Amino acid sequence: MRGGLQIEMIRSELEEIVGPHFITSDEADKLVYSTDWSWMPQMWLDRGEWPAIPDFIVHPGSVEEVSAILKVANTYRIPVIPWGGGSGTQGGALPTYGGIIVDLKRLNKIIEINEQALTVTAQAGINGTQLEWALNEKGLTLPNYQASSNCATLGGYLAPRGSGTISTKYGKAEDMVMSMQVVLPDGTIIRTPPVPRHASGPDFMRLFLGSEGVFGIITEATMQVDYLPEVRLLRAMLFDSLSNALEAGRRIMTRRLEPMVIRLYDPASTKTLVKEVLGLDFDGSYVVLGFDGDKDIAALQEQKAMEICLELGGRDLGRERGEKWWNHRYDFYYPPLSLKLPWMYGTVETVTTFDKIEALYWAKKKAIEETYADWNVRYIAHFSHWFHWGVMVYDRFIIEEPPQDAREAIRLHNRVWATAVQKSVEYGGMINEHHGVGLKLARFTRLQYGTAWPLLEAIKKAIDPNGIMNPGKVGFGV
Amino acid sequence: MQIQNVIATTDFCRYCLMCRHVCPVGHVTRLETLTPHGWGLTVASVKRGLLEWNPETVEVMYSCADCGTCRSFCVTDQPLPEAIAAVRAEIVQKKLAPPVVYELDEALKQWGNPYQKQAPQAAQGNGETALFVGDDAQYLWPSALEAALKLLEAVGVRPVLIGIGRNSGYLASSLGLPETAVALAKANLQELQASGASRLLVLTPGDFFTFTQLYDERLGIERPQNVAVQEVIPFLAEQLEAGHLKFKRSSESIPYTYLDPTHTVRVKTRVDAPRKLLSAVMPEPGREVFWREVRAHACGDTALQFTNPPISRHLTYARLGDAAETGARKVITEDAGCLNQLSQHAPTFGLEVQGLYELLAGHLI
Repeated sequence: MRGGLQIEMIRSELEEIVGPHFITSDEADKLVYSTDWSWMPQMWLDRGEWPAIPDFIVHPGSVEEVSAILKVANTYRIPVIPWGGGSGTQGGALPTYGGIIVDLKRLNKIIEINEQALTVTAQAGINGTQLEWALNEKGLTLPNYQASSNCATLGGYLAPRGSGTISTKYGKAEDMVMSMQVVLPDGTIIRTPPVPRHASGPDFMRLFLGSEGVFGIITEATMQVDYLPEVRLLRAMLFDSLSNALEAGRRIMTRRLEPMVIRLYDPASTKTLVKEVLGLDFDGSYVVLGFDGDKDIAALQEQKAMEICLELGGRDLGRERGEKWWNHRYDFYYPPLSLKLPWMYGTVETVTTFDKIEALYWAKKKAIEETYADWNVRYIAHFSHWFHWGVMVYDRFIIEEPPQDAREAIRLHNRVWATAVQKSVEYGGMINEHHGVGLKLARFTRLQYGTAWPLLEAIKKAIDPNGIMNPGKVGFGV
Repeated sequence: MQIQNVIATTDFCRYCLMCRHVCPVGHVTRLETLTPHGWGLTVASVKRGLLEWNPETVEVMYSCADCGTCRSFCVTDQPLPEAIAAVRAEIVQKKLAPPVVYELDEALKQWGNPYQKQAPQAAQGNGETALFVGDDAQYLWPSALEAALKLLEAVGVRPVLIGIGRNSGYLASSLGLPETAVALAKANLQELQASGASRLLVLTPGDFFTFTQLYDERLGIERPQNVAVQEVIPFLAEQLEAGHLKFKRSSESIPYTYLDPTHTVRVKTRVDAPRKLLSAVMPEPGREVFWREVRAHACGDTALQFTNPPISRHLTYARLGDAAETGARKVITEDAGCLNQLSQHAPTFGLEVQGLYELLAGHLI
């Protein structure tokens, strides 16, 4: 427990680093920084309860200031929580043990857009959409179109291994990063090698991708960008059979037709989300296919994909409905269209190989719907991030009348998550595909990694011997 | 129609992060609390007993610029600026608002403006067209009005001037002073009605927003339905296109940029008009800033200049910095409030400031 005197000593040191205008411990600030985009702290606040709050929020203006902050944190053994946009859904940025929230948004400069190499180098605190706008002005794009881009930062794209709408063609954020600058827990500033593919020893850059702040703070990244495409072709399909829709996706992917997006809504999602947000009322599985790039190549790829879909019983709903989805694909996140309190909900997403995904989907659906039938739980899903080897299911549970008591609500929430995650792992899936582990899934990393977990713990201990970096997250203790 | 239960919007916005990228105050302060979701969460937390209104939380609520950018980017059109104005009104009622708010209330009630101890000039005459002058144009940058009148005269429009030196009501509404805002609005509308005008011209997008939206949504005042409201700049652009307005080319070769005024985001259809007019005068195209058109940030005017001068200054610096980064040496805009703010700090950025109306009027053929 940090006493008042020690807190003031720490404050003095932090003020000497960032200046008095860039540190706060005001009550309102602590409250606002006590929640991210995850249900747990939001519900807690909604019920009139104080979640864990930070001791300080600091805004460093340089990587040297970040380094100095971490040195101070080590001296005092006070937790440090990196903060980008606060848009994580897993509680990864929550100050569960108090400490110093390091808000990186002053590190928001674009350092270089290299039109020859097609890269952008930017500080990690830059807002995702603002970065994209700057690139668009040069006819370029960072094809990591996350729903959270309006609030997420570049560092926040990378730390949890995030993914965007067109990841199926362009990859996840981790596939776009060329190199990074990271401040290690002891304050050492390092740079990873200038290119990601080489044979010059172990790839330690990847240690920080998915680390969610437990191994250090990402302060700068060089990302591969693309030219804005000549065309984007969108089309909607409808399948009576979810199984056939999944098979269509598998064939499209394994034949390397390179769609930028395949968005497959299960019947429950089609009847709710697609209807409520897009105003399209269908029975069955609504699918959006998208191809981009050179107009002739995209058209041919689309044609080949359509042949596969039609062969498997898909019905062509036309371009307009596909374009409508594309133009409104983020509408699902705006209230009142989004899932919101007082409901309880969670995105229990996972990823696995094509041979397992359908069984996994039905098993999770059954487990959740049967186990929590008394709560009138709903289970809806769509399949959205596709790989050559498999696909991610973005599945969600919704309970419209959860317990009013905050503690009872959290317990129910955690039980539902446990059911979902255990089913995912049982059927060959991961505990998460692109939202990260954070606080919410921290207790499942041992399940996920098994005998490999002690290796990660050993790395954590070596890099962060005082355990100051984002404690309690990703399965690492205090 | 006045928005009912507007404060309920804050429950929607408290956990939504979808407009964060465009909030100018969030952008310059980088503080989570001073963003749309931060303001929503602060209000929601007071409602739930987690926070109370005290100088710190009241300062949070009076740090929003009321520029409308959040709402303009919201797919579901959440009226958060209106909700914040309503929350401020509650804070004012509880006598917890910053002292400057009560001082401004007195000034607005007595003088109709926050700048000078001078009552509004009475409107005189009647005609087909009225022009709302307001307080910014009258006291902060009168040359804009003179130039606008010259331009209108060039196309045969001699408007009846109304609201000469009187605030539109926007400032009072924004500060959480709805009764004062209603009184100002009604005084302006009475002059409009008395003028017999069927067209009301306004000098800025802020005034356009006030007359066409704020009066209705925040104050529950319906403006006369037989009066069409139009901004002068788009009107002049129409006249240019129709061949009724002609300019001679400027010989000036100084690189310039046009800054869309505060509240442009509330009137998105007006963004082309000033650029068309400038292209008729300037020898070279203007350089475009990053925060432009439908994402134009506030200039540091609005109520923020009174309730939080440091943030107001930051906004002004940000706009000037944005302009300087283009390599421009001159900044052009038409809003008197913006011109006043920008001109105070422009030299620091190596920039000069010029009013658009004055530039155009100086090149009339």
